[in-house]
Amino acid sequence: MKIHYVLPIGVALSLIAFSASAQFGKRLLQKAGQKAEQKAEDALDKKLAGNQNQNPGTTGGNAPGTTGANSTGNTKSGNGNPSNNSGGGLVSTPPDVKQNLADAETAYQSKSYGEARYSVQQAMLGVELEIGNKILKSLPSTISGLNKIEQEDQVASSGFGWAGLTIQRKYSDGKDKQFSLVIANNSAWMSAINLYMSSGGYAQQTGGQQNWKQTKVKGNRAIIEYNEGSGYKLSVPIGQSSLIVFEGINFASEQEMMTAAGVVDIDGIKKQLGEQ
Amino acid sequence: MKKVISLLFFSGLVAGALAQDFNKNLASARSSYASGDLENARFAMEQLLNNLDAAIGKEVLAMLPTAMGSLNYNQKDDNVTGSSAGIASGLYVHRTYGVHPKSATIDIINNSPMIASINAILNTPLIGGMMRNDNQKVVKVQGYKSILQKSENSDTAKTSFELQVPFNNTLLTFKMDDTNEGEITQFANSIPISKIAQVAQ
Repeated sequence: MKIHYVLPIGVALSLIAFSASAQFGKRLLQKAGQKAEQKAEDALDKKLAGNQNQNPGTTGGNAPGTTGANSTGNTKSGNGNPSNNSGGGLVSTPPDVKQNLADAETAYQSKSYGEARYSVQQAMLGVELEIGNKILKSLPSTISGLNKIEQEDQVASSGFGWAGLTIQRKYSDGKDKQFSLVIANNSAWMSAINLYMSSGGYAQQTGGQQNWKQTKVKGNRAIIEYNEGSGYKLSVPIGQSSLIVFEGINFASEQEMMTAAGVVDIDGIKKQLGEQ
Repeated sequence: MKKVISLLFFSGLVAGALAQDFNKNLASARSSYASGDLENARFAMEQLLNNLDAAIGKEVLAMLPTAMGSLNYNQKDDNVTGSSAGIASGLYVHRTYGVHPKSATIDIINNSPMIASINAILNTPLIGGMMRNDNQKVVKVQGYKSILQKSENSDTAKTSFELQVPFNNTLLTFKMDDTNEGEITQFANSIPISKIAQVAQ
């Protein structure tokens, strides 16, 4: 009888003991695992820290090869090349027109026509840059209370006839209101654009929509457009091969945009570009 | 012989006229610039570029073969100009060979905006793949990657080919009617492309 009771109790006790020891073992294993993970993480951190010290070009979460603002005393990039931290850039001197014309003459006389053409292109580039700068100087320094951003002034020319001359000026209130104008001149594409716009081709293309309309700026035919993302855009073809594009961001109304564009002396620009 | 003498005489006349124009425009550019008339200085320089393109074109024309197999060139169709190339100002050289229905044409345009799109087809597999069709393929002519386009006349069932060879900022187009790929490639190889590239650049 005693044996009859003792055996199941013994079995039950040993099962409980086994279970307890298994749980303990499990916890022990978990603990050991956590310890091992912690050790591995520590080792990795140490290793990474060591690498960072060896390679100072990749600090502050920057991609290899880049030098971040928080890097200290970086002299080498990721690929082992030294980083450029000095140098004055390129000198943007316009080509010497007179010298290039003299070079063109010499090259022509020696029948080096390709060289002569290069020199004439350079001379033309010089003249176009001068024209652009002259036009920039003639533009008002403020429009609708916005001041010009001098560092954004841009005159671009390639000296090739079909690429033409581009002049850019921006005005801003230093916040979110901006007025800009781009003058494109003497490009082969311009005559096609002017023809398209002045013949009403533009109107047919976008007929039915109310985010554009034809208008006039100081007697010049123009197209005004409005886009919720980019604001107002006023395109004024002038003469045979020039176009002025005004863009206004955060202008309250069409009238305000037209008044701002009206400040610019379009006829004066036309004259300086030799347009009729 | 008569043809050669008349060609030389004609070339001499053209060269003389070009030199006169060049000197006149150079003087105009100088005086306008000196007086601050920038727009007129630029206009005179554009004329100078046209004069130079015409001079270069004349040299290129002299390099082109006078015959393509049995097709002789048509002297009266020779055209060199510095400005009438349609949308692009710049060098334009035109020569034709033979008479209809078997004829060929060479056109050379410099500073052409079209060159960028042709180079895109030749050098960008994705764009090239999208724009290619069964009648178009890329071939090499004297080492220059080129586009060869085939077209078939549905009435006569004869094939024409057009070969476009871009180099530097110049585009050479060679068209031939009633021909096959082998013939146009053979004739294209008689055009001194590298010499033209050197003069036209």
